[in-house]
Amino acid sequence: MELMRIDGYARIEDYALIGDGRTSALVALDGSVDWLCLPNLDSPSVFAALLDRERGGTFELQPVDAFEAARRYLPDTNVLETTFTTSTGVVRVVDALTLPGHGLEPMRELARSIEGVSGRVSMRWRFAPRFDYGRLAPRWERRGGMIIAGCEGESIALSAWNAGTVVATEGDRRGTFELAAGERALLAMSTAYAEPLIAAPRRDVEARLGHTIAFWKRWTDERHYEGPWKEAVRRSALVLKMLIFAASGASVAAPTTSLPESIGGTRNWDYRFCWIRDSNFLIDALLDLGCYDEARSLFWWFMHATALTEPALHVLYRLDGGTRATERELPLSGYRQSRPARVGNGAVDQLQLDIYGALFETAWLYSKGHHSLDHDTGVVLARVANRVCDIWRCPDSGIWEVRNGPFHFTHSKAMCWGALHRAVRLAEQGELPARHVDRWRKESAAILDFIDTRCWSESRRSYTRVAGDETLDASLLMLPTIRFPSHERVRATVDAISRGLRHDDFVYRYRVDDGVPGNEGCFLNCSFWLVSALARTGRVDQAASMMDRLVARANDVGLYSEEVEPANGTFLGNFPQALVHLALIEAAIAVGKRS
Amino acid sequence: MSVFWSAFGGGFLGTVVMTTLMRSAAEMGFTRMDLAFLLGTAATDNRRTAKVVGYLFHFALGIAFALLYGGFFAAIGWSSWWLGALIGALQALFTATVLVNVLLPAVHPRIGTPETGADEIALVEPPGFLMLNYGRNTFLVTLVAHIAYGAIVGWAVRV
Repeated sequence: MELMRIDGYARIEDYALIGDGRTSALVALDGSVDWLCLPNLDSPSVFAALLDRERGGTFELQPVDAFEAARRYLPDTNVLETTFTTSTGVVRVVDALTLPGHGLEPMRELARSIEGVSGRVSMRWRFAPRFDYGRLAPRWERRGGMIIAGCEGESIALSAWNAGTVVATEGDRRGTFELAAGERALLAMSTAYAEPLIAAPRRDVEARLGHTIAFWKRWTDERHYEGPWKEAVRRSALVLKMLIFAASGASVAAPTTSLPESIGGTRNWDYRFCWIRDSNFLIDALLDLGCYDEARSLFWWFMHATALTEPALHVLYRLDGGTRATERELPLSGYRQSRPARVGNGAVDQLQLDIYGALFETAWLYSKGHHSLDHDTGVVLARVANRVCDIWRCPDSGIWEVRNGPFHFTHSKAMCWGALHRAVRLAEQGELPARHVDRWRKESAAILDFIDTRCWSESRRSYTRVAGDETLDASLLMLPTIRFPSHERVRATVDAISRGLRHDDFVYRYRVDDGVPGNEGCFLNCSFWLVSALARTGRVDQAASMMDRLVARANDVGLYSEEVEPANGTFLGNFPQALVHLALIEAAIAVGKRS
Repeated sequence: MSVFWSAFGGGFLGTVVMTTLMRSAAEMGFTRMDLAFLLGTAATDNRRTAKVVGYLFHFALGIAFALLYGGFFAAIGWSSWWLGALIGALQALFTATVLVNVLLPAVHPRIGTPETGADEIALVEPPGFLMLNYGRNTFLVTLVAHIAYGAIVGWAVRV
């Protein structure tokens, strides 16, 4: 496969993700680990060459001579295998963030196993961590055969077996070695945070690598999906599992921050938070794929995280359940000079009404998935339903988190209708106290009336982006998914969006100013939403052929970023993005059920 | 009244006050800490019964700790509400830094820890240092509740 670095930056589609449910790393096609946060998904980075080639920090491993690279995930796992071919031979590198299971395990462990396949190949590695998003250089030591890079309470140790003599240079440690067919080398990076480092013997690292491969295979075997696009759905499930923070059950929208929505642009956001609306899609997907334990864990986290703020909900929560996500800029040059690189997310303080619909859809799906709600949860949800009655008439920032609002977004109102509709259904099933059901019914009817009288454009034959407007919005592709009534108008809206916002198989969110300077690509989740909407409105063949083409648009290991540049299909935005993979699963199931 | 029974009664009353304070703080949005839920989910993954089991367990612990307080007061030969409050404050510090943050996750089958990986499913999020994952005021609430508990036990125990 052709490797292309532009100004030292790999293309976004040239990355693959490895993870252990606690953190994750992006590995480039040329063997560089360019993104890793420690100890958790939302912690500061130690490798951030993704956002600054010079200052970010990286862990390179590649042949000395010119090479070609091909890669795959080991079947049904999140363990990456890269095969390097040079003029002198072939080597195979297996990368994994290992899981506990053999020996005294480090807090986190990145294992890089290298095997000679044929001929002889000279390899080189360079270990250059930088702490706190490149802000702090390490303090180097050499103890017990390990290279130790320390900084305040955090230490990283690199153990190298058959990987050459370690050479110290300014700011990094590096080595070269040669492998013949059948020979093996191993690099293992272990982490300690506020605890002593673990000096793991080679056999323990290799045993954990084997255990990790076995775990992922077992986990994948336990997923039940027999519909179309099976491989894409299984890969999406594996990606989503990596984005779930196992300690709490919360899930990040993406494991990265500030990958730009246009090269050189300013639309660079931190997605390492749990969005309520994503959780709704995630619970749906988890239940569909037979991940009942993960769905329950997420729902428990969901109700626990919202306990401090209910009946008001925040748009997003940190993985530890906190609500502070102050946005600030990092002293990094940004991916291909796309400044600023940010951490935190200013959307946390916005009013986004659609999340109330997402919460009730989550509760509804969870309840349908053979989990009854407990009494306290029912009482909380009833309070939230009353709040929806109080606030649905307010303008908000909407699903796209616009920064020039607030507006009366049609999608937000529809999701408020969905919230009250589900609240009534849950109350009828005895899951919610029924004292206020009449009010919920009355207000949901009022919302329907508002949408049908204020948000419909006869000239465009479509529901519009905001009340009294004439513009289109791809979020309305979700109307069939939430089973919004007015079937003819919903079908017409799907057609209007397909005509007005589509570019080949890619779909723009909207084509109006949203208060943020710069351009953006097409959001891939919108493409999969269109597939689902077409299937749900009776155009199954059309949906299936579009799905075929979109599945082929994944990168070489089946991952998607948030957006693509419609002109050439280049990936843009944070990567890999949960919402896109969730939309893929939903679309596959929607088409599969109707085929 | 003997040391045992006065400590028993003080422990019961102290736990009632402590539980009420913590529950009220949670209802007012100061913290997501729910001790009964946290303790009860060690025994069951049924949310409905976890809280019942948790309250029973919490009261048993409250009385057991009061008996330890009583033993300490008997050993030094005197007691007072302020000494009880001081021990309560120390107990809160121990609870927040070691007992709930480190020891409970080590034995609790459903609570996450910093080591929990993709091969495990945690139903309850880890409390974190000073239980701050459950809200920024959690330690303050815990401290006040334990001081109240200790003061009541110190006041009730007759040496």
